[in-house]
Parts: sequence; C-alpha cells; structure tokens
Amino acid sequence: MHGKSGISFGVFLTLMLLFFNTTAQISPGDLSNPHSHLEGISNCTQCHVLGSKVASEKCLACHTEINLQKGYHSSTDVKGKQCFDCHNDHHGKNFQLIRLDVKTFNHNLTGFSLSIPHSKKECKDCHNAKSISDQKIKAKNYTYMGLNRECLSCHEDYHQKTLSSTCLNCHNPDAFKPATKFNHANAKFQLVGKHANVECLKCHKVDVKDGKRFQEFQGVAHTNCTNCHKDPHQNQFGQNCRQCHSEESFHAIKGKNFDHSKTNFNLVDKHLSVDCKSCHKTKLTDPIKHDRCTDCHTDYHNNQFVKNNISPDCSQCHSTKGFNLYTFTIEQHNIGPFPLLGAHAPVTCNQCHKKQEKWSFKDIGKNCKDCHTDYHNNQFSKNGVSPDCSQCHVVKGFNFVTYTIEQHNKSLFPLLGAHMATACNECHKKQEKWSFKDIGNNCKDCHTDIHQTYIPSKYYPNANCKICHNESQWEDVSFDHSKTNFKLTGAHLKRNCKECHFKKDVGGNEQQKFTGLPSNCSSCHTDNHFKQFEKNGITNCTECHSTDNWNDSKFDHNTAAFKLDGKHINVPCIKCHKPQQEGSQTYVKYKLKTFTCESCHS
Amino acid sequence: MSKIAHRIFISILVVIVIVTLITLLYKGISYYKVGIEERFYHPDHSLLKPSGILGHGMGIIGSLFMIIGVSIYMVRKRYRLLSRLGLLKYWLEFHIFLCTLGPILILFHTAFKFGGLVAISFWSMVAVFLSGVIGRFIYIQIPRSIEGRELSLNEVREMKSDVADIVKKSYNLDEESYSILADSIKKKVELYHKYAIVRYIRKYFDDRKTIKTVKASLKKNNLKKDEYKKILALVKNDIKLNRRIERLDTMQNLFKYWHVVHSPFALVMLIIMIIHVAVTIAFGYRWIF
Repeated sequence: MHGKSGISFGVFLTLMLLFFNTTAQISPGDLSNPHSHLEGISNCTQCHVLGSKVASEKCLACHTEINLQKGYHSSTDVKGKQCFDCHNDHHGKNFQLIRLDVKTFNHNLTGFSLSIPHSKKECKDCHNAKSISDQKIKAKNYTYMGLNRECLSCHEDYHQKTLSSTCLNCHNPDAFKPATKFNHANAKFQLVGKHANVECLKCHKVDVKDGKRFQEFQGVAHTNCTNCHKDPHQNQFGQNCRQCHSEESFHAIKGKNFDHSKTNFNLVDKHLSVDCKSCHKTKLTDPIKHDRCTDCHTDYHNNQFVKNNISPDCSQCHSTKGFNLYTFTIEQHNIGPFPLLGAHAPVTCNQCHKKQEKWSFKDIGKNCKDCHTDYHNNQFSKNGVSPDCSQCHVVKGFNFVTYTIEQHNKSLFPLLGAHMATACNECHKKQEKWSFKDIGNNCKDCHTDIHQTYIPSKYYPNANCKICHNESQWEDVSFDHSKTNFKLTGAHLKRNCKECHFKKDVGGNEQQKFTGLPSNCSSCHTDNHFKQFEKNGITNCTECHSTDNWNDSKFDHNTAAFKLDGKHINVPCIKCHKPQQEGSQTYVKYKLKTFTCESCHS
Repeated sequence: MSKIAHRIFISILVVIVIVTLITLLYKGISYYKVGIEERFYHPDHSLLKPSGILGHGMGIIGSLFMIIGVSIYMVRKRYRLLSRLGLLKYWLEFHIFLCTLGPILILFHTAFKFGGLVAISFWSMVAVFLSGVIGRFIYIQIPRSIEGRELSLNEVREMKSDVADIVKKSYNLDEESYSILADSIKKKVELYHKYAIVRYIRKYFDDRKTIKTVKASLKKNNLKKDEYKKILALVKNDIKLNRRIERLDTMQNLFKYWHVVHSPFALVMLIIMIIHVAVTIAFGYRWIF
C-alpha cells in the first residue's frame, strides 16, 4: 500500500468507527424493550453461548416463570423447540417477543380448554395483572402467563366462601347458571317429589351480603317443612306435615293418615274413597258446606222433588253406601200419588222411572199407556181416543180381564146362546195376537162351513148358517124341507137330518150327502120283505105303508090274489104267512105261491 | 479470445448478474419490504434472514466472490510470473463481475438491514463498488496497450491517423462534406468552466452536435450504408482520441487518486468482514458446516 493509501485508510477507518458508534456494534440489531437491559457487547453471553448460538437454558435461567412441565410450554406444540424459535430478538426495540394469533391459537394446548363463554372473551379479560398472583409475572407489562386454573383466580366468588372453591364440582364451564353438575342428591336435603321442580330461589333466597348480591346455599334450615312452607292449617293438625302430605304434591293427601273424624264431617262408606279435591276444591282447610248432600253433589234429579221451593235432602232416598243403593220403599211409594199395587209392586223402579237415559220421577204420568204400550194397537180407539186399559184390565195382571158378557152384548156382536159359553180367545185370538176389531159378525168368520160343497147355496145364501142353525143348539136345525123335492111328512118330520143326509162310508167315516138323494123308500129304508113286492125292479112301499106309521098298513087283503072272507078274516096273519129263514135272516113270506086249502090246512 | 467469444463471455457474466439480481428480488421482495420488527413473523424469515440458510449462504458466497475477485486480479496484476496468463483486460472484467455479483449477494445477505459494526464493512463495500464503477470510467479514458499497459501521450498521438486524408482518398465526398468532416476531427479547446465535470458534460454535448453535423453532411453524399458507417466510425474514433489526448493528463492524475480511495475501502471492508465472520462463527453460526 502506498503511503497515501495507508494514511487515507487510517483516516477512513477511524471516521467509520466513529460514525457508526461501533463500541457495541457487533450486535445484529437492537434488542426488544424487555431485553433492552441486555444491550452491550459485554452482555452477549448472557444469552448466547460461544460456539452454539442461543441456549434455551440461558433463557430459562432468567425466565424462571416458564414451567416446561405444565401449560402451553409443555405442549406438543412447543416441545422440542428452542426458546428462540418462537421468542427471537435483535429485531428492534419494539419487536414483539410474544405474538399470538389469537384467532387461531389453540388454547387447548395450554391445558386449559376454553369453554364457550371463555372463548368469547378477549385475551386480556383473563390475561391481565389482576388475575396473576405471582408478583414477578404480575410485574411484566404483558404476559399470557401466571394465570391459575382455579376459577376463583379470575372470577369473583359469588358464594363468598360459603361453598367449596372447586367451582366445577357444580358449575359447567359453558355456563355459570344453571349449576348443571350440581346434584342435590349429594346435599343434606334430598329433593324428593315436587321439590325437584321448585326453583332454587324459592328455598335459596337471594340477599345482599357485604354489599354484594348473595344467594344462600349453605345453612338453609330444612328440618321441618315449615322452614320453607307456610302452614296453611295454622297448626291445626300439628307440625308433621308428612302425616298427610307428601313431597309429590301438597294437595295429594295421604288419605290413610288423615283422620277426617277430627273434622265435623266423618267420612264413611263411599266418602272414604273420594279424592279430597273432589270436595275440597280450593285449599283443604278452607271451610266447605257439608249439611246437605247437594253441597258437594249435584242434584241428579234436577229438582224434581222440590216442593214449595224446598228440595228434600238426598239422604231421604240415598245413602253414603252408593247412589244406586236407595232407601226409598214401596210403602213410601204407596203414600204417593201412584201406589204400587198388584203387578206393579214387583216392577223394578227403572221400568217406570228410567224410560230414557236419565231417571225421571216427575210428570211421568199415571195412565197405563204412560208406561205400558197398547197391546191392542188402538183397536178400541174411537174418534182417535183409546179408552184406558183399566176399563178391561186390572193391576193384578194383564190377563185378568174385567170385561163382562153384558158389556159384550152392548157391542156389535151380543153373545147369545152357546156364544155366551164360548171362551174369548175362541173368537178373539184366532191367530197369535188377540184381535178385537174387524173380526167379522158372520158365522163363517168364526165357524167352518162344513156344507159348503154339499148344500147348494140357494138353500143358505151368503153362507148364512142361521137359515138352518141357531146360536143355542147346533143340532137344532130348522130347515124347510118342503123347499126341496122331498117334502117331509109323517115320521120323516121326526127324524134327524143326519139319518138321511149323513152316511158312513165303507171306512166308517161319516159322509154327508144333501144333493142327488133318490126319493124312493129303498134308498133309505131296508126292504124287510126281501123283494116280495118288487115290480119291475122297484118296490113301492107306499102301496102298503104310509110315512106316519110303518105298521099302519094301507094293505087291503081283498085286493090281493086271495080274498079274505069267512073265518079267514079273523085268522092271524102268521097262520098263513109263515116266517121264512133266508140265510141268517128271517122274513115273513107274504107272496104265497099256491092258495089251495091243504097248502094251509092239514 | 476472439471478439465474438469475448462478447459472449461478457454477455454471460452480465446475464448471470442480472438474473441473480432479479431472482433474489423476486424471491425476497415480500420479505424485504416488511419492517424489521415484523420480519421474524414473515414465513420466509427462516430462509432469508442473514443467518438463514439462503441469507447466510449469500453472505458466505458473496464474500468469497469478492475475496476471489480482488485476489486473483491483484495477483495477476502484480506478479510478473502471471503476466502472460490471459489479457489483463479479461481479468479486470472478471474482477468486475465477481465484485459486482459479490456485493449483490452481500446486499441480500444483509436483508437490507444495515446496522452495527458490520455496516462499516457493508458501506465500505458499497464505496468500493461505486469507486470501482468510477474507476472503470477513468480506466477506459486512458488509452492502453493491448496488454493493458497505459500509453504515453506520444504513443496516443501516434495512434491518430489522418482520417481526412483517408476519407478523401477512399470515398467520394463533396467539398462541403469533406470540409465539415475535416473540421470535426480538429482538436478543439474545451470551453472553460471551473468544474471539470461541467466541462466534460459540455464537451460531451458539443461532440454529439459535431457528430450530428457530420451525419447530416454524409447523408447528402448518397453513400452506401456500409461506407457511411465506416466513415462515421472513423470520425467518432478520432473525436474520441482527441478527447482522450486532451484529458489524458487529467485522467492519469485522477486514476492515481482513485487508487488511494478504492483500495482502503476494500481493505476496511475486508477487515470488518473478517471480524464479522469471526464473531458469527464464535456465536455458533456456521451455515451448513
């Protein structure tokens, strides 16, 4: 180097050193304000280790507040890193040694997971000097360290040291209220029944303590119900509420335990099973009327028994054993306007009093038809009005009829002759049901016309039986036989019709015959003469006999072949006309073949 | 080395420098734009910080470039033994290349953070670089032999050929043009000003005006393009020689003073750099080693 160059180098170097104030200028940059006290060449090794950059041990030697065993510095995010990886320096006085992206920072890594309310807070709401107990850390301008995980390190103790400081035993980190983790079952007072639904405030009153709002949870008296509840009975039934009441409901009374006889209304029979609320509509101790049944019960009968504006008490007919078990007797009924007589006595009440859904006792009518249906279906109705059943029937029984023959004779069909002795049903119950109207006045309406095909209708027009018969005696026939071709005379007038008109057939059955009968005697009478007088196949009886008398013979022996004269006139007939045996029958032989004397005389 | 090979050589060096500069700027612009106090939290910090894998590397390589660039040029220049090893001009160009690329790398190594003791080294480097640029300007103002040796005034004057005569013989120009051409290559007295720089600037504009006049007159003669270029090159070269002859003494003096500045800056830079490297190594920053 030339002399001039050497001089200029010396001058230049000096100027440069002065200009850059290099006494402490091997530093790569200013330290941040928190480390500003470490500025200067003599302090390099406070942090740096010769030959091996910056050692975390040196950092931790100063920063004793850093605990690598807990908190964020113990997390996987930090483990294995050197301090300067995150907390660098020599980047200017205002360099931020700690910079967290609070929006993306995973607070879980600190070992303290942020619950929902915590996550909505600003960092400084918790990370402030007020919440830091360590004085050394507290002295720092700003740090995320030094916070205690205990709730009370940040939060005010609402319970003012009356409860455990372990808030999370009862509270959920997500919300202070309600204390969802609190289990009242672990408390001295178990919440049973309705107590479980009672708002906490009802028992745990809010007050002011030390000038702050305070809710009492500790030391709440609970030995007696009246510690919290007001005694509505004003000690009428003693202090042991549980004798009657349960925690399930104040109003659900333990019926077994309450002695109702202590009251003015002793419960018996059905009343024993009635729910208290049925009568005690409001409070159990509120006075309730109980003189009349209708004080509790509604009048089922809707004042049907009111007389002079006064309704009799239900107990006159009913008892506490049951509404259906009534005490009203037949005797009581008989005092009333409709005594129960005859067949009415055994009739059950409902048959008359419960014709519809509801029982009815008033204005149900006294007439038979009010209860009974008209069996005769208005057959007796006249001008639209039916006579009352009692005109013919009695309460003794429907079949007991008071209708007389005399009454019947006033009808369109008086009962005469044999009709009087005829039972009613013969004419009025020809079918299943009794019938009284339009059953007909003609004989054939009731009687069968047995001659219908045997006697021509001209002899009894309109099948009028009365032309021959009468109501008194059926057999007493009054037919004018002269209307026929065979006028009855003599003994014929005395004969029964049947003798000529009814004959038994081969089978022995009686067969009537009124038409086509021959008028000769032999058609009815037997020829006792064994055809001795038959002429041309016909025997004319009337030549000798009349209808008046069979024996009164018109025979004149003188007109015969052998004229009687002399002694013959007085000779008995049998002397000449001897009986002859013909088979099993005998007859007198009138027709003699010879009239010689010796034929009769020996 | 042929002229074309030399041009390629120079072009490659220039391209390397420009590409390096652009690449580093492109790569680190977002980081370098960030304030000092924010850089630590920039995602490229660990890469581009002065002690980062790239930043530190650039420091080391840049320093080596400069040390090598200075050393080999100094050795080549000062030791006769090596005087035949390539033209000094090429060595100078390579010296300029390494000592341009080196400071660029150092500049990015600093991450544009200039403070502390090492800042002296940096600014010395800047001074060396700038003085190198100025030195280069002065250097080319002094005509040299093909080996790079400075020529004396007489040697320079001998270099001057009679351009007017050559043109008259070789090219057919009208009288007016010839007159203008002959006038342009005459030595002119510089307009006086107490500051040399003002004088040089005035001279620069005056020469440009002269060349413009020559160009206009040449165009009137309907010369071929090749002829036009050749005549113009002769004129320009003559004007340049005139200027250099005129300033030779001044430039030679300036060049002596330049050495007084350029070398001490380089030395300061080197010494502080050594301290900086020593401190760095002492504190454990060894890059990849």
